[in-house]
Amino acid sequence: MSSIVNNIKNWWRTLFRTWINEYRLVFSDLGVLLFFLALPIAYPVTYTLIYNPELVEKVPMAIVDNSRTSESRELSRMIDADQYTEVRGYAADLGEAKRWMKERKVYGILVIPEDYAKKIGRKEQAVLPLYCDMSLLLRYRSVLFAMTDIQLQLGADIRTNTINNSPAALVSSAMGNTVDTESFFLGDVTQGFASFIMIGLVILILQQSLILGILMLGGGSRERRRKNHGVDTEIIKGPISASLLGEALCYVTIYMPLTVYILHYVPLMFSLPHYGEAVDYLLFMLPMLFASVFMGQMLRPLVVERESSFLVFVFTSVIFLFLSGITWPRYAMSPVWYVLGSLVPATWGMQGFIGINSNDATLGEVATPYLMLWVLTVAYYFLAIVITRMSNSYDLRHYKVPSVP
Amino acid sequence: MSSLRNALIDGIKQLTSRPIYVLGMIVVPMFVAFFFLDFMDEGLPLKAPTAIVDLDNSSASRNVTRNLSASELVSLDYRPTSYDEAMKLLKSGDIFGFFMIPRNFQADAAAGRETTITYYCNMAYFVPGTLSFKSFKQTAVTSSGGIAKVTLVSAGLNEDLVGTMLQPVTTQEHPIGNPWTNYSIYLSNSFVPCLLQLIIFQFTAFSILQEIKRGSSVQWINDAGGSVVVACAGKLIPQFVIFSVVGFAIQSMLYGYWGFPVNGSIWGMIVAMLLLVASSQAFALLISSLIPNLRFALSILSLLGILSFSLAGFSFPVEDMYPPIGAFAYIIPVRYYFLIYVNTALNGYELYYVRWEYIAMLLFLLTPFTMLWKLKRSSLHPVYIP
Repeated sequence: MSSIVNNIKNWWRTLFRTWINEYRLVFSDLGVLLFFLALPIAYPVTYTLIYNPELVEKVPMAIVDNSRTSESRELSRMIDADQYTEVRGYAADLGEAKRWMKERKVYGILVIPEDYAKKIGRKEQAVLPLYCDMSLLLRYRSVLFAMTDIQLQLGADIRTNTINNSPAALVSSAMGNTVDTESFFLGDVTQGFASFIMIGLVILILQQSLILGILMLGGGSRERRRKNHGVDTEIIKGPISASLLGEALCYVTIYMPLTVYILHYVPLMFSLPHYGEAVDYLLFMLPMLFASVFMGQMLRPLVVERESSFLVFVFTSVIFLFLSGITWPRYAMSPVWYVLGSLVPATWGMQGFIGINSNDATLGEVATPYLMLWVLTVAYYFLAIVITRMSNSYDLRHYKVPSVP
Repeated sequence: MSSLRNALIDGIKQLTSRPIYVLGMIVVPMFVAFFFLDFMDEGLPLKAPTAIVDLDNSSASRNVTRNLSASELVSLDYRPTSYDEAMKLLKSGDIFGFFMIPRNFQADAAAGRETTITYYCNMAYFVPGTLSFKSFKQTAVTSSGGIAKVTLVSAGLNEDLVGTMLQPVTTQEHPIGNPWTNYSIYLSNSFVPCLLQLIIFQFTAFSILQEIKRGSSVQWINDAGGSVVVACAGKLIPQFVIFSVVGFAIQSMLYGYWGFPVNGSIWGMIVAMLLLVASSQAFALLISSLIPNLRFALSILSLLGILSFSLAGFSFPVEDMYPPIGAFAYIIPVRYYFLIYVNTALNGYELYYVRWEYIAMLLFLLTPFTMLWKLKRSSLHPVYIP
């Protein structure tokens, strides 16, 4: 009986002593501090500054005006005045315009055919060839947006003229435009690029910086084991389930203020979309942080020295970004990638945080990602225990003689 | 000459000494290339889950619903009965947009009373948001146009005239190089080389500064006859060969197996890949010489390598960034590779138009020579700072 009580006491003692000891290890390690503090503080700001202009505006266009009429000049003026495009120059022919394109002076060419004004006068449809550079989809999108708007505007103008000049003028006022269409953009109302990508990216930054720091700490511990017959003298001895939880509490408490900074102040600083209740997204982030910590602890055996954490883990950021479904949606993924994405805490983290922050959802409305994060937390905790136990006994068996990786 | 041979042998030995080199230099980039290509194999994410809120339930509204279900971009998975219900689905991420047909739609349209079709797109998910917008807009405009046409014709206007009246001006698009707006062509061609650059950055610094960390750098320089250039060449030449082979393998996946467009000179792309490998190595060597500390150099190079995905302007154009930030694009090797790719493989323009990009990549090769003395000094007096 007393041994059970002792075991329980020992478990709790290990938990608390590890928790405190881990602060010492973290704050005496410049490399880890770079991951745990500098990265989450500086990265969101750097990234937002890159994307902060939000919209791709005033894409330079070339006009090949073969019509040279007041109608065609009107059209060119509309292109120049549009938010998304501007006229960089008037080319003599398509060949000259294409040369500008090759020199990256323009990213689109609009050809106004000779019979443009004539066709409008005759009430025939005028067709305008539009050549677009496809290197960047955002630029292409801006050109298309501008051209669609201009097309609709011209259509409306010409229609009004035609109806007014036709015998049907009488009905036109009665008819008006009976069916209106109206579109609403939700989540990212201005359709800005920073407002879209940053909301997901900050979650990935939290996860990746946390795991990188844990891997570097793990690498340091591994180097000590190598020198010391498989034993790390810097850590508290005791049940692994307690020490892993103690470490996790240390990291999560360090990350709490950072989470508030990243999820609350960064959107405010750059006026990114920021709806939702603070209680909701902070509660939501709790399992996200724990799941990331346990995932990091689980992956520790991959790292045999401090610096190899970079080589082993940095590239995964790109893969995790795509697996999360923020760029390529999850419903269009093949089952293998879908399942792999489900195993990454940031996938659910982004889904839930985008819901709360951009679409003003409540915690209840993002229940699926929230529950999935708790499932990952529990699963990774137990996996981390098993893996750490195996890795420790491996080190004891193999590091009898001091060595370098 | 024998010192170069010794250095080369040492360099190759190092690569075979630990599994991390083979895994990181060959397996990881090949896996990532496969990942991107397989991941976005469809080209466009079709069938975005969406909903329709039909408050009218008339033959006209059912007609609109049918038109919408025929679109390949969206899939009408839900039929919520109110705006609130649809909004709830959108907030929880079950749908990416919804289309609303108002009460009395058919009756109002027929009677010439104002009625409005509305549609909502969740732009927090850019791609499905944009695609559902595209599909919704098309349906909304055609429905509205169809009804206007009926009204005008019944008012006595000629049917052909009405047709052109509804759309008097139309554009005929020629999207050069990627007429399918295939996302994989657009993303894989830039992201995979950028990842290769990141890996080259890391392994160049890792393999060189490892010597300083372990204190074996004095021996390393001495083995190379006291020349830091020979010592670095011994490490970097074998790595150049490996990375170039990996680079060609990636290109053959892109342009061969997956058949992405090569409208220009393939030799131009092959040379660009060789230059990408060499200039990335040179850049990493420059940083490693400036900061001869393994962890610190790796931090800087990883940071730059990851930021390259954004700074090189693959998604958001460099021209639209704030100028002091956009300026960083010019110190990133993969930026030049990307510009060469766009002009050559995608657009099929002559190599003449990217001559400066090739020259810029060549200039990268010269930069480390300005700082190698510092690497030598630190190598002869190695200090490890954890």
